Amino acid sequence: MLRFDRRLLTNFDWIMLVAVIVVALLGLVNLYSATALQQGLGTSVFIRQVAYLLVGFTVIFAIIMVDYKVLTKWNYHLYIMTILLLVAALVIGTDVAGTQRWINLGFFRLQPSEPAKLMLVLTLASYYYRKDTGAGFTFRELLVPLGLTLLPFALIVRQPDLGTAMMLIFIFVSMTLFVKLKWSTLLTMAGVGLSFVPLAWFFYLKPYQRQRIMTFLDPESDPLGTGYHIAQSKIAVGSGATFGKGYMQGTQAQLDFLPERHTDFAFSVWAEEWGFIGSIFFLACYFFIVLWGMNIALTARDKFGVLLAFGIVSLLFWQAFINLGMVLGLLPVVGMPLPLFSYGGSSLLTTMAAIGILMNIRMRRYMTGS
Amino acid sequence: MLRPLGNINKMDPAELTMLKKRIDAATAIMLLIVGILVLRLWHLQIQQGSEYQQRSESNRIRVQQLAAPRGNLLDRHGETLVTNRPRFNVIWIRDDTPHASEVVRQLASILDLDTTQILDRIRAGANQPRYIPTRIKEDIDWPTLVTIENNSFNLPGVQIEVHPQRDYRYHNMASHMVGYLGEISRQELEQHRGGDYRQGDYIGKMGLEKLFDTYLRGEKGRKYVEVDVRGFAQKQLQIQEPLPGNDLQLTLDLQMQRAAEAGLKDRAGAVVAMEVNTGRLLTLASAPTLPLDAFSGGISRTVWQGLLADRRAPLVNKPIQSQYPPASTYKIVTAMAALEEDIITADSTFYCGGSTVFQGHRYHCWKREGHGHVDLEQGMAESCDVYFYQLGQRLGVDTLARYARKLGLGRKTGVVLEHEKDGLVPTREWKRQRFNEPWQDGETLSVSIGQGFNLVTPIQVTRMTAAVANGGRFYRPLLVTGIIDPEGEVLREFHPELEEETPARDSTWKLLQKSLEAAVMNVQATGRSARIEDITVAGKTGTAQVVRLARVELFEDDEDIPYHFRHHAWFTAYAPAEDPEVAVTVLVEHGGGGGAVAAPLAKEVLEAYFRQQKTPVVLLPESLIRRDGR
Repeated sequence: MLRFDRRLLTNFDWIMLVAVIVVALLGLVNLYSATALQQGLGTSVFIRQVAYLLVGFTVIFAIIMVDYKVLTKWNYHLYIMTILLLVAALVIGTDVAGTQRWINLGFFRLQPSEPAKLMLVLTLASYYYRKDTGAGFTFRELLVPLGLTLLPFALIVRQPDLGTAMMLIFIFVSMTLFVKLKWSTLLTMAGVGLSFVPLAWFFYLKPYQRQRIMTFLDPESDPLGTGYHIAQSKIAVGSGATFGKGYMQGTQAQLDFLPERHTDFAFSVWAEEWGFIGSIFFLACYFFIVLWGMNIALTARDKFGVLLAFGIVSLLFWQAFINLGMVLGLLPVVGMPLPLFSYGGSSLLTTMAAIGILMNIRMRRYMTGS
Repeated sequence: MLRPLGNINKMDPAELTMLKKRIDAATAIMLLIVGILVLRLWHLQIQQGSEYQQRSESNRIRVQQLAAPRGNLLDRHGETLVTNRPRFNVIWIRDDTPHASEVVRQLASILDLDTTQILDRIRAGANQPRYIPTRIKEDIDWPTLVTIENNSFNLPGVQIEVHPQRDYRYHNMASHMVGYLGEISRQELEQHRGGDYRQGDYIGKMGLEKLFDTYLRGEKGRKYVEVDVRGFAQKQLQIQEPLPGNDLQLTLDLQMQRAAEAGLKDRAGAVVAMEVNTGRLLTLASAPTLPLDAFSGGISRTVWQGLLADRRAPLVNKPIQSQYPPASTYKIVTAMAALEEDIITADSTFYCGGSTVFQGHRYHCWKREGHGHVDLEQGMAESCDVYFYQLGQRLGVDTLARYARKLGLGRKTGVVLEHEKDGLVPTREWKRQRFNEPWQDGETLSVSIGQGFNLVTPIQVTRMTAAVANGGRFYRPLLVTGIIDPEGEVLREFHPELEEETPARDSTWKLLQKSLEAAVMNVQATGRSARIEDITVAGKTGTAQVVRLARVELFEDDEDIPYHFRHHAWFTAYAPAEDPEVAVTVLVEHGGGGGAVAAPLAKEVLEAYFRQQKTPVVLLPESLIRRDGR
């Protein structure tokens, strides 16, 4: 299986590689502006991100060397490893602002909830691939993947990191709806899902999380608290108008009015400085990757490839939608980076690994196994 | 459980179509959501773009007010009376200070404060936004300033702030007229609505500072600075320099004012000097003066209580707000009435035996042994009471009142300053209304020597004297000559204003003038201590009884008389007698005799006038006005 076929080179996914480089470079350009004047961060953040990107490309090339089918064999090992990391984060994790999301490795602070998203995609893809009989899943058959989702979900909610935890649910729902379900199953799932909402509201959400959602529903109620972030982000984006204020000229960003502007609110900086034109250009580049990923799913050589590619696409898509929706004031503020664009090693490396898997599937679309 | 790896087959066509359909559906949903994002961007950036641009601008731009230097007050020669000086405050900017406790310790030793005092100040400012500096100490002196500047490297976060501050070059000189500044009150803010007045501004609270505030204050400048989210200035965008206020050139003569205030010493009283032919006020002194420096920046409670408790009433602007019995200065009115009503001629005499009896009551002359046969000139010169009793008796109170009014008594002179008093000219009608009692003819006698119900202000008496000197012309008292803008251009000029002319026979004015001259120049003249070298002075003394004479005469020596029982000393004069230029009135409260106390003071003021080169009041060239280095 490690034998390298020359056909792989002819089928190499140059398009995806170029698209990823473009978006990553846009991210770097933006990161430079967002951190240029920020004291205590500045160049070190920029250099770290460049380093993560280089590591990320290495990860891509490492991943495409091996046929993706090997993942069906390793997925439970990877799953268990991820769960252990999540537990470790809760036990020995670094406490930052009351949340325990990071494991300090000295040179790198790993945020295990990031790879957990990809692991879930992988796990669900192999599960559905193995169990699919073509007759449609029953609710009982879905209990296993539901459990596989809820375990990391619960661990991430404990950190607490509501945004990432919700992401797991989005992935589960997207992938489960993608495989064939019985109608009764669909209705049951919807019912269970809906009944969880009030339970979660009253028993699981921390006061600050509830506050965020309340603020989103009525931003005026708390203009200087949580609503402040949304308001400042909207001002930044809106004031960019058609052509933007110019690179490094965004006053909202440069004068600190934007919170988290190199991570979750990176796109606010971009929209402020490059305007509507620049924003549309970015969306085009980013969603090209997503659409190309859909195409990869469509042309995959087997069902595992299809499921895996679709899961990764939904991962990339939902993260972007939640992040942009938050930045544009359409969704409540939850911690959610914009993949490839926001600063952050865990997110970037996870995303690059996911891209590597997509390219892997693409390269092997004509291969019929050995 | 796992299928062999190599065993994965190509998918069957049916499944492939099914998956393709699902991928298409998912793609459609995705594109729909992307469409929502694009629409949202369109809405925020294109539709509401300009609105958000404004909000972003107001986010980042803070407007700082720059205080405008207030206009100067100049005397009639262009000498600066009040100007501005920089006031240096030590301020503390919290975010710039990494080793706060060390800095506080050093600062305490430089400023000679306790560390706890500094910490208290810092704590008091703690609930303000961080970019608003805390004032540690205000108005530090030069050596302290230099020490702080030299140590600035060791004092991060400590800065010096400069504010213009009123500088009273001659301390409390002319304090009542100048007035003082204070923080604008709610009512004043309401009054000046629409003007350039803001909360926290300083505004004139009294005197010229108040009346000419709009001219003096100038226009505040504005500094537009870009600030970060914490409000700290990042860079300066635009600056609109403040426009200094306009100067007021006063009619005041600093030399004369100084002579007057020095002469009053720590006594209570007033000195007014006026140009006879224009109405310009050269001196307007009220004693005791107000502590102007203590007023600036809010007066302390103890100082204020002290001012209220002082029996010399320092808060009252005496030349225009205090009403006194005119005493013998009123004899001018009585004499004029008698001349005009043909009751006397220059040669008419009355016999003074030290007293006269009227309607069964005995009325005394101040000189118990009597003056003998007295004509107008001697009566005025020696201030013979019996002579004027005779005139008053023949004139009646209402005729006296008519002439008092002709000489400007009983009504405001119209000087610009606030709260001027009317004085009081009693008549039969007035008494009936006031006390519901008929007039007693004996009271007319008291009125005729200025000891009845009548009350006058020093400025009224000055104007009366000036009118006698110039033959009946009444000018509105002028205090301000002009308003000069910072470029030296005259914005407004205030010209002498002839208000009315009292008609009287020339001979009447001549005789009055002659008798007043005699009252200073005669051997026995009561006002002889007002004489000055080379110049003839004409004037009239007055000694106003505060209580009935009998009670005071128990005391051998004037010094033994309790303060509140002592007489008010009056003297009013003009000079030169031949060609009058200036009229001066002095009143010393509870000072004693007019001839002994008030006349010498008037002399000082007149000497200050004539000593100076007689520069006419003209607006000086810019070079001279601007030399205060503002």
